[in-house]
Amino acid sequence: MFSFLFKKDTRVEELIYSYLDTFRQILENFDKALACCIARPRCEEFDFLMERTHKYESMADDILDKVNNLMFGKALIPDFRSDIMNLLISLDKIPNHLERTLFMIRYQRLEIPGEFVNDVEDIIRISLESCELLAQQVELFLKDKSGRRSLMSTIDRNESHCDHIERRIIAGIFESGELEPFFKLQFKELIVNIGDITDQADRVSKLINILTLKRRV
Amino acid sequence: MLSLLGGVFLGWSLGANDASNIIGTAVSSKMMRFWPAALLASFFVIVGAVISGQAGIETLKGLTTLSVHQAVITSIAAAVTVTIMTVMALPVSTSQSVVGAILGMGILNNQLNFSGLGKVVLCWVGTPVGAAIIAVLLYRIMGFFYNRIPMTLFNSDHILRLGLILSASYGAYALGANNVANVTGVFVGAGMISVLTAAIIGGISIAFGILTFSRPVMETVGKKIVTLEPFSALVVSLALAMTIHLYTLVGVPVSSSQAVIGGVMGIGIVKGVNTVDISVLKRIFLAWIFTPVVACSVALLISYASRLRYIPL
Repeated sequence: MFSFLFKKDTRVEELIYSYLDTFRQILENFDKALACCIARPRCEEFDFLMERTHKYESMADDILDKVNNLMFGKALIPDFRSDIMNLLISLDKIPNHLERTLFMIRYQRLEIPGEFVNDVEDIIRISLESCELLAQQVELFLKDKSGRRSLMSTIDRNESHCDHIERRIIAGIFESGELEPFFKLQFKELIVNIGDITDQADRVSKLINILTLKRRV
Repeated sequence: MLSLLGGVFLGWSLGANDASNIIGTAVSSKMMRFWPAALLASFFVIVGAVISGQAGIETLKGLTTLSVHQAVITSIAAAVTVTIMTVMALPVSTSQSVVGAILGMGILNNQLNFSGLGKVVLCWVGTPVGAAIIAVLLYRIMGFFYNRIPMTLFNSDHILRLGLILSASYGAYALGANNVANVTGVFVGAGMISVLTAAIIGGISIAFGILTFSRPVMETVGKKIVTLEPFSALVVSLALAMTIHLYTLVGVPVSSSQAVIGGVMGIGIVKGVNTVDISVLKRIFLAWIFTPVVACSVALLISYASRLRYIPL
C-alpha cells in the first residue's frame, strides 16, 4: 500500500536478488572451468570460462556499487543498511576467491596432478555446494523464512569436511617425491585458496545467523 | 499584544528544544529528512494545541490569579530559567520553569492553589516513571507480535519507518496539546486572551521554534537516543507520545525530555542493560528541584526589580 514511499528500498531488494543470480552464474562458470582444467589443462575453453567468471564477478561488483549508492542515498533504516552491506561485502569475498583460483591456474600454468584429482574434485564440489546453500540461506534471511539454521549446520559440516580434504591434499603434496619443490608451494597455495571458499561461506552463514538473532526483539 | 512576546519567545524556545525529543530519533538516524519531519511536527503541534490544549491551560490558569504585568514576568522568568538551566547543562523542563515562576507570583499574591500544585508536582514524578512503565508494556506487547508475524527484512524496515513517522506525528500532537499551556497559559490566567487564542498563538510559536532552530539541538540530542536499535527507538517514541497524551487528558503540562528519559529507562529495564546511568538520574533529580526553585526565584527577583523606583536625593 505504501510502496510508493519505499522506491529506493524496492530497488535495493531487486538488486540483492540480481546479485544472488550473478553469484550463481559465477559458481556455475567456475565449476565448468575447473572441470575443464582437470580434463583438458590449458585449453581455450578454460580461458573462455575464466573470462566469463571474471565478467560475472565484475557484474557482481557493479551491483554492489549500485546497492551502496542507494544505501548512501538513505534507503532503509541505518541499522538494516549496515547489516545488509556487511552481509554483501562478506558474501562478495567468495567470487573473489573463485576468480583468484582460476587466475592462479591460468597464469601460474598449474595442472592438477593425477593423484590429487579426486580430492580436488571433492573439495570443489563441496565448496560449491556450500556456496549454493549459502545463496539459499541469504534468500531465506531476506524473506524471513525458516530453514536457515539447518542450512547453516550443513555449511558448517561441509567446512569441516573441506578442512580435512585440504589437510590431506597438503600433506600429500609434501609427501610426494615426484613433484618439483616450487610446484609444491604453488599447488599448496592453490589448495589453500580453494579451502578458503568454504571457510568464507561458513563465516557468511554464521553472520546471517547473528543478523537473524539481532532482528529478534 | 506586545506583552505576549514573552510567551511567544518561550514557545519558540520550547519548540526548538523539545522537537529533538519528538522527531530527533527519526531525523538524526536519517530515517526522515529534517524538513518533512519538521513540517509534519509543526503541523501536528498546532493541531494538538488547538484541539486538546485547553485542559492544560485551565490547570495552569487555576494555579493562581495573575495580573497582566505578572503574566509577562512569569513568562520572562520561565524563559530566563530555561536559559540558565541550559547553560548549566541540566535537562530543561519548560513546564517546571513555568510552574515555578507561577509559584513565585502566587507567593507574592499570597494566593496559591495547593491542590492544583500537588497534582502538577505528582505528575512531574509520574512522567518518567509512567513513560518507563508504558515503554516496558509496549516493548513486550509489540515485541510479541513483531517476532511472530512473518515479514521480510524490507517489510520490517518499512513497518518500523512508518511506525516512527506515525509516532512522531502523534508525539508532536501530544506535545502541542500538553505544552501549549506552558507558553500562553499565564496570559489566559491574566485575562488577556481567550483559551482558543492562547492555544493558537502558543501552537504557532512552538511550531516556529521547531522550524527555525530545532535542527542543531536535534543533532546533539537525537544522536544520544539513536544508540537504541530501531525497534526500541520506535517504542521510546511511542511511549513518549502516549505519556504526554495521558497527562494532556489529565490536564497537566509535563516535560517531554523527562518522558524520553523514562522511555529509555523502560527499554533498559526490558533489555537488562544500563541505557541510563546513575549520573543521568542524579541530573534529572537535580533538575526537578532546581528548575522550579530557580524559576520561582527569578520571577520574584524580576517582580521586585520592576517595582524599584528612582528617587532623586
